[in-house]
Amino acid sequence: MLASILFTLGLGGACGIVLSFASKVFYVYEDPRIAQVENLLAGANCGGCGYPGCSGAAEAIVAGKAPPSVCILVGPENVAAIAEITGGEAGTAEALKSYNECMGGSRATDRFIYQGVNKCSAVASLYGGKRDCTIGCLGYGDCVRACKFNALAIGAEGYPVVDYERCVGCGACQAVCPKTIIEVSPMSARLMHLNREDDALAPCQQTCPAEIDIPRYIDHIRKGEYEAAVNTIRERNPLLLTCGRVCPHPCETMCRRAIEDEPVSINQLKRFVADIEMNSGKRYPIPCASDTGKRVAIIGGGPAGLSAAYFLRRLGHHPTIFEAMPKLGGMIRYGIPEYRLPKEVLDWEIQGILNLGIDHHVNVEMGFDFDLGSLIGAGFDAVFFGVGAWNDYNLNIPGEDLKGCYTGINFLARVGKNEPIDIGKRVAVVGGGNTAIDCARTLVRMGLEKVYLVYRRTRKEMPANDVEIVAADHEGIEFIFLAAPNRVLEDEDGRAKGLEYLRMELGEPDASGRRRPVPVEGSETVLEVDTIISAIGQNPNLSFKQPGTRLDQLEITRWNTFEVNPETCQTNVPYIFAAGDSQTGPATVVEAIGGARRAARAMDQFLRGKPFIGEPRALLSQKKIGESIFERVPGIKQTKRAEMPELPVQERITCFDEVDLVINEANAMKESNRCLNCCRLCYDPDISIDTKRPAA
Amino acid sequence: MAKTIAQEFKKGLWDEIPPFRLVLGLCPTLAVTTSAENGIGMGLATTFVLVCSNMLVSVLRGIIPSKIRVPCFIIIIATFVIMVELLMQAFTYGLFLNLGIFIPLIVVNCIVLGRAEAFASKNKFLPSLADGLGIGVGYTLSLGVLGSIRESLGSGTIFGNAVFGPNFQPFEFMVQAPGAFMALGLLLCIMNILGKK
Amino acid sequence: MGDFTVLIISSIFINNIILAQYLGACPFVGTSKKMETAVGMAGAVVFVLTMAGMITWIINTYFLVQLNIEFLRTIAFIMVIASLVQFVEMFLKKSIPALYAGLGIFLPLITTNCAVMGVCLLNVQDELTFLQAIITSAAYAVGFGVALVLFAGVRERINLGRVPSPLRDTSIGLVTAGMLAMAFIGFRGMV
Repeated sequence: MLASILFTLGLGGACGIVLSFASKVFYVYEDPRIAQVENLLAGANCGGCGYPGCSGAAEAIVAGKAPPSVCILVGPENVAAIAEITGGEAGTAEALKSYNECMGGSRATDRFIYQGVNKCSAVASLYGGKRDCTIGCLGYGDCVRACKFNALAIGAEGYPVVDYERCVGCGACQAVCPKTIIEVSPMSARLMHLNREDDALAPCQQTCPAEIDIPRYIDHIRKGEYEAAVNTIRERNPLLLTCGRVCPHPCETMCRRAIEDEPVSINQLKRFVADIEMNSGKRYPIPCASDTGKRVAIIGGGPAGLSAAYFLRRLGHHPTIFEAMPKLGGMIRYGIPEYRLPKEVLDWEIQGILNLGIDHHVNVEMGFDFDLGSLIGAGFDAVFFGVGAWNDYNLNIPGEDLKGCYTGINFLARVGKNEPIDIGKRVAVVGGGNTAIDCARTLVRMGLEKVYLVYRRTRKEMPANDVEIVAADHEGIEFIFLAAPNRVLEDEDGRAKGLEYLRMELGEPDASGRRRPVPVEGSETVLEVDTIISAIGQNPNLSFKQPGTRLDQLEITRWNTFEVNPETCQTNVPYIFAAGDSQTGPATVVEAIGGARRAARAMDQFLRGKPFIGEPRALLSQKKIGESIFERVPGIKQTKRAEMPELPVQERITCFDEVDLVINEANAMKESNRCLNCCRLCYDPDISIDTKRPAA
Repeated sequence: MAKTIAQEFKKGLWDEIPPFRLVLGLCPTLAVTTSAENGIGMGLATTFVLVCSNMLVSVLRGIIPSKIRVPCFIIIIATFVIMVELLMQAFTYGLFLNLGIFIPLIVVNCIVLGRAEAFASKNKFLPSLADGLGIGVGYTLSLGVLGSIRESLGSGTIFGNAVFGPNFQPFEFMVQAPGAFMALGLLLCIMNILGKK
Repeated sequence: MGDFTVLIISSIFINNIILAQYLGACPFVGTSKKMETAVGMAGAVVFVLTMAGMITWIINTYFLVQLNIEFLRTIAFIMVIASLVQFVEMFLKKSIPALYAGLGIFLPLITTNCAVMGVCLLNVQDELTFLQAIITSAAYAVGFGVALVLFAGVRERINLGRVPSPLRDTSIGLVTAGMLAMAFIGFRGMV
């Protein structure tokens, strides 16, 4: 009895002594905070943080190599507790989510025989098997098996479907996917992604200047997932209500469906989902990355400025918009008339962007109310210029300063601000672009007797959108082609009473490929009008560029636009970025949005002090992957595209009500089913696309 | 802790039944299930240790410093293992001989330490008791079932009584190591099918 | 010398600690999903088991038997093994950091590895001499490593195959282990 008690105590004591001795001798200093931090981590050793187990993660946190929020499993209270231990700031990790970019298909299995092994990566490792399909889920479900959180399942169409509620972003699915189809990425990484030469890009997505993932959102619409469709568009374009109405949709011209019948009405579908959100009475939530504390001054509250602010805010920065006009919106508020984009709609859209937590100031102008020095002094880390192109070109003809003569953008802006304008009864609009058409259609609605549109080339060369030209024609605007204004005639009161023009002939093509108009001698003709609006183009107003300042060093192109690196939108002053019309010259809203996103991406890298590079494999919209190799797309039942409903002409020319109406849900379904889902679905010419794809 | 004590007990019988749902404690499962009697004996011995150590750990959970909790748990468990060893030596000597070194090895059975660490060190006395009892009974049942299967196929008997008649040629294989692994693997497969519904 | 050869062969192959003696089945199933882990675990076991076999033999012969308190064997062994693992962990961390990086994370797992405890008990049961005890312990550990690494190799391939879902993972793993055990029965003819 005594012996056993003594022995047990002795052995215990001996062990204790040896261990405590050993712990002194073999003592390796370890920060005591590591153990404390480790206790607060999940202890699952899941590897989601990217460190080998929880102790590795704890070490990295204490060493300051990882943020306290690195663990993807613990809640905010533990993150705060860890932050207290390490003395750092808590921050919140951006949620990583699985993101499946493929709709599946079986081309790879059809083309390659895997000899009984059911995984193409297994074939690759066993036989050096070929797998050159860059996209197309094989549906073997390795990702489903890899997921420890039951967030993945093979859906009815044979490809994995992500349950975003359950996904914790551990990345196990991405690690096992043999085709790099499923990926786990934080929202901001997706916002920053530029189209790359090695991406699987449908023709429409390549063509879209904003790089919207068009096949993806059309697929969402097809399945009735309108919120997902809106969110997909919002990853590239914050102004979807606006673009759904005014975008000239270059994507549709490239649509592969047009090879067989007619292109998909992509923009109609965008407007359809955008309107659904607006009419639903609530706003779909927009996630933002964790705060970085960096501040950016956005000069100009137009499409470029709003988009840049939106993307920067979602990336975690704090933009502040400075707008010279009384309201935000820039050219889309003051340049696009009410009948194309109702102000109510625009206000709703802009408010949604501001709701992310973006400050703005209106009625303040760069160079008058503030300047670059005051912005830097106020603590802004970068400056973005999206000042637009608001200077109308002059006609440079005698008499253009007379009463009754206006310039295009100036006129539209004054109408937009509801300023009283002295217009007569008969008007000539000079120019062939969208601004000219907008002016003409606005004037029709203001009740003028006669509206002429004077253009020096023919209809074929008009740069305005074709639908706009057709609508203007319907509304009774008279086109006078091949006419170059020569002078404005003056009446006794000093007011314009007529426009004299020379008739023209088309000569040799010029640098832009359009045939140069040549005046016909002695063909002077007088058009009896009392108001003349010249809308022959604009350039940016860069008058804030005072000599002797940093701004004066900014490089400017010969078109009076900002000279920037096309991939980063950075000017020669490192902290100044520019996009939109002030960088490209007058262009479309969607181009401004695309430029603003590239600028926001570069600004994010700049603000975070990351190696500051563009995307080396970026596929800028100017250099597209070659035309479709398809000459025919067999297996398609030919169907007409959905027609856009319009207000009847008689009704619309009397008021500023919106002309283009939204398609109804049934038509949207029909239209979204016409999409071939290029680059998302393996195309098999032997199987009709309609039979291959189960009905939504 | 909205779970009632009955629920804590029940979960050990199906939801977390070892060694199927909790893949722990495999060595005794494989080694001693050559007969139903051995299996149940082992299960009961483990249950005794599990219940006692769970209770004691739960009572002492406020006193044991968290830094040395694992060694303390091991000592507690080892104490009860010695008790069970001596008890079996005294009252069920045949079983004691059959189970051999697997009785002292209860001390390193991950189920016991696992429950002490995961449950008893964080819960009150009664739930810990129920948890230990539930897991223990579940483990006993599993070992009994596995033992019956292996005994009936491998020796043609259950609890020593012949089941297949005198002409039955036993699968010697089932009472040896390969049979142990395979029987457990296939039983696990059946459990997976049942669990899926 | 011939005796030792027989002892080594029989400990590694014939009485393979997992596939014939059923010891260490938990880590056998748990750490065999990846070859890398299996190799690390095997190394750690060889290291600790040899040391544990040595020390527990000394404790048993010079203390427990001498004092006539063999009934305390379980508690004594587990205390020694647990302390030993701790000690080895500290020692490696300080002296051989490279080895620690490879084996370190597996060491705590070994405390509750029944193979270690089981071998120590078997050594006592079989009344081996000190030298025999060391050699047997090391041979058993090598046997554990061989089985674990073999099994991990098979398992990595199996995971590439199309296994019916209820059989997946541990279930098919155990069936495979059964087949491996059958193959090891073949070694019985060697001695």
